[in-house]
Amino acid sequence: MITLLKNAKVIDPAHGKDGVTQDIYIRDGRIIAKPAESEKIGQVYDLNGKIVMAGAIDMHSHIGGGKVNIARMLLPEYQAMRQLEEPEAHICGANCSHLATPNTTDTGMRYIEMGYTAAFEPAVLAVNARQAHMEMGDTPMIDKGGYAMLGNDDYLLRLLSQNADQKTINDYVAWTLHATQTIGIKVVNPGGISAFKFNERRQDLDQQHAFYQITPRRILQALSRAVHDIGIAKPLHVHCNNLGVAGNFQTTLDTMGASDGLPMHLTHIQFHSYGTEGDKKFSSAAANIAEAINKNKHITADVGQILFGQTVTASGDNMMQHLNAKVANPKKSVIMDIECDAGCGVVPFKYRDENYVNALQWAIGLEVFLSVEDPWRVFLTTDHPNGAPFTSYPHLIRLLMDKTFRNDAFDKLNLDAQAMSNLKALNREYSLYEIATMTRAAPAKLIGLHDRGHLGVGAAADITVYTEQADKEAMFAKPDLVFKDGELVVKEGKVIKVVWGATHTAKPAFDLGIEKEIKQYFDRYHTMQMDHFKISNDHIAEDGRNHVINHTQG
Amino acid sequence: MNIQQNTMHTCPACGLLCDDISSEAVSSRQVSCGKAAAFYARVTTGVSPQVGGRAASLAEAVSAAANILKQSKAPLVAGSSTDVHGARALVGLSHRTHAAVTHLNASSTLRNMKVLQHKGWQTTTLTEVRNRADVILMIGTDVVSHNARFFERVVWVPEAMFTVPSARKIIYLGGDQLDTTPGISPQGVAPQVIDCATAQLPEVVSCLRALVVNKPISAAAVAGVSMDQLRALAETLKAAKYATLVWVSKDLDYDHADLTIENITETVVALNQKSRAMGLSLGGSDGDTSVNYAHTWLNGVIIDAPAWESHDTVVWVNSYSPQAMPPAGKQSVIVLGAPDSTFEAPPAVFIPVATPGLDCAGQQFRVDGSVILPLTAVKPADAPTLTQVIAMIEAELEGASA
Repeated sequence: MITLLKNAKVIDPAHGKDGVTQDIYIRDGRIIAKPAESEKIGQVYDLNGKIVMAGAIDMHSHIGGGKVNIARMLLPEYQAMRQLEEPEAHICGANCSHLATPNTTDTGMRYIEMGYTAAFEPAVLAVNARQAHMEMGDTPMIDKGGYAMLGNDDYLLRLLSQNADQKTINDYVAWTLHATQTIGIKVVNPGGISAFKFNERRQDLDQQHAFYQITPRRILQALSRAVHDIGIAKPLHVHCNNLGVAGNFQTTLDTMGASDGLPMHLTHIQFHSYGTEGDKKFSSAAANIAEAINKNKHITADVGQILFGQTVTASGDNMMQHLNAKVANPKKSVIMDIECDAGCGVVPFKYRDENYVNALQWAIGLEVFLSVEDPWRVFLTTDHPNGAPFTSYPHLIRLLMDKTFRNDAFDKLNLDAQAMSNLKALNREYSLYEIATMTRAAPAKLIGLHDRGHLGVGAAADITVYTEQADKEAMFAKPDLVFKDGELVVKEGKVIKVVWGATHTAKPAFDLGIEKEIKQYFDRYHTMQMDHFKISNDHIAEDGRNHVINHTQG
Repeated sequence: MNIQQNTMHTCPACGLLCDDISSEAVSSRQVSCGKAAAFYARVTTGVSPQVGGRAASLAEAVSAAANILKQSKAPLVAGSSTDVHGARALVGLSHRTHAAVTHLNASSTLRNMKVLQHKGWQTTTLTEVRNRADVILMIGTDVVSHNARFFERVVWVPEAMFTVPSARKIIYLGGDQLDTTPGISPQGVAPQVIDCATAQLPEVVSCLRALVVNKPISAAAVAGVSMDQLRALAETLKAAKYATLVWVSKDLDYDHADLTIENITETVVALNQKSRAMGLSLGGSDGDTSVNYAHTWLNGVIIDAPAWESHDTVVWVNSYSPQAMPPAGKQSVIVLGAPDSTFEAPPAVFIPVATPGLDCAGQQFRVDGSVILPLTAVKPADAPTLTQVIAMIEAELEGASA
């Protein structure tokens, strides 16, 4: 059956289309060229010039895995019963935790209602990947995928300290992608999570690791090279050293140089753009960071915008979260060392606009957004739930598109923070085309999802239809229609049909010989069999809801 | 039948999930652990469903179960001794029937959860302990009563990356009728045993915490334990490279035992200001971690321990504990569980289901929470899986509402 979206006003940056009125034809979940006159059109939606974009893609959102589930447990004081409507009530109980830590059904439902059709879990602990996939498998409506964490695992650190050749590292990285069913590689506080286990409290970019005598810079070199050599699209996803520390912008700038010009993505860069100026020794270094991003074409970044309210931060960076636990609100936190592989830190935060640091964090994120020139290289994230829940994206989009709205919000901030920010001097207002770039075309390109994030022939028919409104928050909060793989699943902001999406992976070729060495390591030091660490396609598809879509690389 | 001959099997008989069980060991009954031996010796075939104690077809039993659930005003899903897939199915059934979900081990699970939700904690996992721990302090437990192979698989291992396993310092603090012989090192070094009854752990552990944070204590002893001995213990923990403080929630079974656990975890938090230490909660059984975790991601909240009397119907799942039955009461009982269940009084409906890790595949969380292991079928089943049975019951319920 062919579905026709008639008179669509298409914004499709992948094809340079900015408001072109055209018809879109869909068959078997894909966008097709205009069919022959003789072919029957099953269903016609006359959009009368409504805005049409590809489904949005969240390239960094903590939606599943151990630390996310701990975050769900951590705030019983915010639990409330909700009145759910069908079809959501059919697959979910009325319980929920805080809106920053939605259950899996809630996650999928709230994403699709905003026109998002995919989200990527950016911190899959390799040893915990099975849990991340179980939770993502139980997340309806959207496609999923993950980035596997390396760079604090003792296997890689041993290889580097023994001066292993790059080919061995490449094989290990590719093996990890296969074993964990992920599409990218992330490094969190390179070397730092491991160093914390040796009682170190900070790890600088060029400081030798206390045990392995290698530097984070060496880890970044090796991993960015491996990701490049094995040919996956997604650049190394880097959570820099010194998260949240005043003065950390210098680490961030130095990190940009650590990959010898190979592509790197610096994540939640807002948390890494802090200077030490002013009475409070905490200032915005957004201008320095944005200038460096503009200059260094091999660097991309997502912002990790904070928005005011209660949340629970969940990070692999147990070294820095152990320090942050001192300012937890409510006062509690979970810190874990995990399996000679990684760690995690889960710390509730309440971001308040009258607080100097929080107010400036808010401004810093927006300064970065408005000062990075190329929307293909800066991505719209709140590092859900760490800066704010993903449900605040429509509000964030309005802050970017509406200068008056933004300045009114700025005027309510802590006065000392206002004095330390140049936000009001930034006149830029994002266009719909730029928003579509940073939430659709660019993330698809970055991750290597060739058939997503655009509306060309052959693309998956993940499509969002909006009514253009002056109030951009209202516009993006409630699309008129959302299609997932060609099926109408949301009408006027409400889910009308439950679908389950798929899991996107990358499985580059590698020398299977590496497995002999890895198995030996498991047998000598681990408490599980290597074979049990590996996740099969069948495990992803278990219980019949999910399936793997592998993306050919290179 | 999904029987894999060449892989190692994972044993779900306790929370340790040893995943080094060969097919030969199973078939020749050569498994080293008593719990595993009993698990693999179970006979789970040749049992038919029952309605009111009489043999019935699967379809009849499913209809009977659905009818009871239709009449029920307040059903309870309980026992819940299963794996992640079973947990998903049970939570799905609870959504359809507005049932509460609890677990055989709810009281010990919630003792830990109270601490996590009130204060949080700082914990580690088995591979970290295996490679790093130089001091292991067990509080109120010998661990081996629950996890028989803990010392073999984690402590007295042939090699470790960052410590000398055989030189580890093993300390037992309190507990009743402990088996401390597994704490003897391969060189024959005896563990340190600080005796005190479980009932006195609240005082003793709070003194230990006070000593670790350098609070002055004038008493010479607490609950028969000399303060000098506790002071030396505090110094040992502070001097350790990676102290591991172990507890088993089930062994701390007294009123307000969560406060003892909180004193343990807050001792760890205090140690981590200057040195490195971590907590490790062991024990676990019947898929308790899996069910609590899956319930949390599916519902956004942890499992519950609802008042038994307020429910008129119980859906009881006892896959890993065939002898476990709900407390006798006026509820209609639907058992979806172990084919080798033993009943004092026949339940309203009994549908035998396959056991994950014995005669069907599955996935289970290890007690330390971060590792999930695949379960394989080691022998053929003639019973359907819990997921299949619940799907059939739900189909009947849907048919009724349509």
